[in-house]
Amino acid sequence: MIGADMDATKEVLVTGELQLNELDQARLDGRLGKAMQFAMQTIVTAAHIDQADALIDISFAHIDACFYNGRAHLDFVNYMLDHGASLAVPSWTNNGLVSLNDLSVRDPLASREMHEARELMQAYVKLGCNPVWTCAPYQLPGRPGLGDHIVGSESNAVSFYNSVIGARSNMYGDYLDVCAAITGRVPFSKLHRDEARAAQILFDVGSIPQAVRNNDLFYHLLGYIVGRKCGNRVPAIVGLPESCDEDDLKAISAAASSAGSVPLFHAVGITPEAATLEIAFQGRQPTQVMELNVDDLRQARDELGKNSDQPLAGVALGTPHFSYTEFERLVNLLDGRSIDPRLTFYLSTSRHVFEQAKQQGWIESLQQAGVKIITDTCTYFSPAVNGLHGKIMTNSAKWAYYAPGMLPVDVLIASLSECIESAVSGEVMLDQWDAT
Amino acid sequence: MSKQSVDIEGRVLIAGSADGPALVLDETLSFWGGFDPSNGEIIDVHHPQYRQLVGGKILCIPQSKGSAGTPGGIAETLRNGSGPIAFVLGEPDVNISVGTLVANRLYDMNIPVLEISRERMKQIKTGEAVFIDRNGRLSVNR
Repeated sequence: MIGADMDATKEVLVTGELQLNELDQARLDGRLGKAMQFAMQTIVTAAHIDQADALIDISFAHIDACFYNGRAHLDFVNYMLDHGASLAVPSWTNNGLVSLNDLSVRDPLASREMHEARELMQAYVKLGCNPVWTCAPYQLPGRPGLGDHIVGSESNAVSFYNSVIGARSNMYGDYLDVCAAITGRVPFSKLHRDEARAAQILFDVGSIPQAVRNNDLFYHLLGYIVGRKCGNRVPAIVGLPESCDEDDLKAISAAASSAGSVPLFHAVGITPEAATLEIAFQGRQPTQVMELNVDDLRQARDELGKNSDQPLAGVALGTPHFSYTEFERLVNLLDGRSIDPRLTFYLSTSRHVFEQAKQQGWIESLQQAGVKIITDTCTYFSPAVNGLHGKIMTNSAKWAYYAPGMLPVDVLIASLSECIESAVSGEVMLDQWDAT
Repeated sequence: MSKQSVDIEGRVLIAGSADGPALVLDETLSFWGGFDPSNGEIIDVHHPQYRQLVGGKILCIPQSKGSAGTPGGIAETLRNGSGPIAFVLGEPDVNISVGTLVANRLYDMNIPVLEISRERMKQIKTGEAVFIDRNGRLSVNR
């Protein structure tokens, strides 16, 4: 029964303290069409829940609702399209469930769901979104800046936008992201406000040996620990090495928001709102200080997957999407060698970074070496892309956290270099990364 | 045995009434990745209520977490009939509420969302009969 009576939620709309301007009121009254009214009612409901007293303008949205999660997604966007929706701000698309340019990844003819997943992505193009199809939109040119109010949706991207760029976004889920993009408005609440951005809990990694902190796996394990331990508090991390780059911060963003809800973290001396400990905590004291050691990292690694007796079946990289600099590292580490042909080796990235890597000749050489590179989507969720089953190594805590629940896999998390050495030799090769 | 009843005043996030057995989750959950909306099953292997089904239950949950897919997971499980009959939250949760709002709107349903507090949620045990009215009053009958 699509398009039920809009007045059904009226009592929800009058309970908040929200002040609406004339234009917001017109949107809410339906004077700007039914799609706008539905979108505005959803924004007003969110404001009521957040106990916000005002709405603010946004300048950008990253849309997650294009990722298929059942028929309801399609019903929602079709309602919006059928009732004249258009977008108020530049809106970029997250991953889809399928790849629009590689039908072999998840075949749209194989099931009704995959067909609808494709239809859903096309519907968001029709709505006016910029079809970048990536969970790492911050790797593309034209990203938001420090202090910009935006709508982030995919959890790692929200965390990255807030933490690494200093743009301001709450964790906007499906539908609310689209409603914000249609209205250009969000509740002035939580992470849009200065006071909510103060760090509350401190993680100190300064006593972990430098060599361990320089390993890329460290950032994934750290993110996982932070996600598990910080609850609803904004964490700050002190003691990260100077070598820490955006790939490392991406790893923390993704791992922390898989294992917990961490839409914002501060890395003291590294991220833009945390020049010093005092600035990160806005002059207050931490409610808790946790000193992490190598045993914590070992335990995190064990919790994310064990090295079982099964033979190695494959490797999955690029969760979140592989960056240009990660491609560069991969090509250097692989150093002209090929993947053992018994293994499946997947790498997920965005169209934009794919093109950048292609210009360097990396795509061709990696494909010849046996790396399957996919765009628009990812490998860690169901249905499994072709050949992904059995024991899989990944360098991503996010992949390791989610995949066992959704795919017929057994996961082992490892550094990028361990993944590559294992893929070349055809069996698990682990370093003494945690030697102290 | 004498009957004890617990009454809790909650904050109405989405108005509606419901009457059914409670399923209390001990930890936060992502309704994308940690939950299968096709049958209403918790599939997060790290979750204490792994493999439990939420269908027909008054789902008491501290909060959702992680993925932006939560509203979609909620809307889809409600659409196909495998979802809870009400949500009782330990903390305000926009994602659960928006998923419910969209399903209510698109499919002419009336699933309520009520916020109590994590502390008051401790008074509710899995399997107990819970009643929620439109004004946000929740009672547990024992």
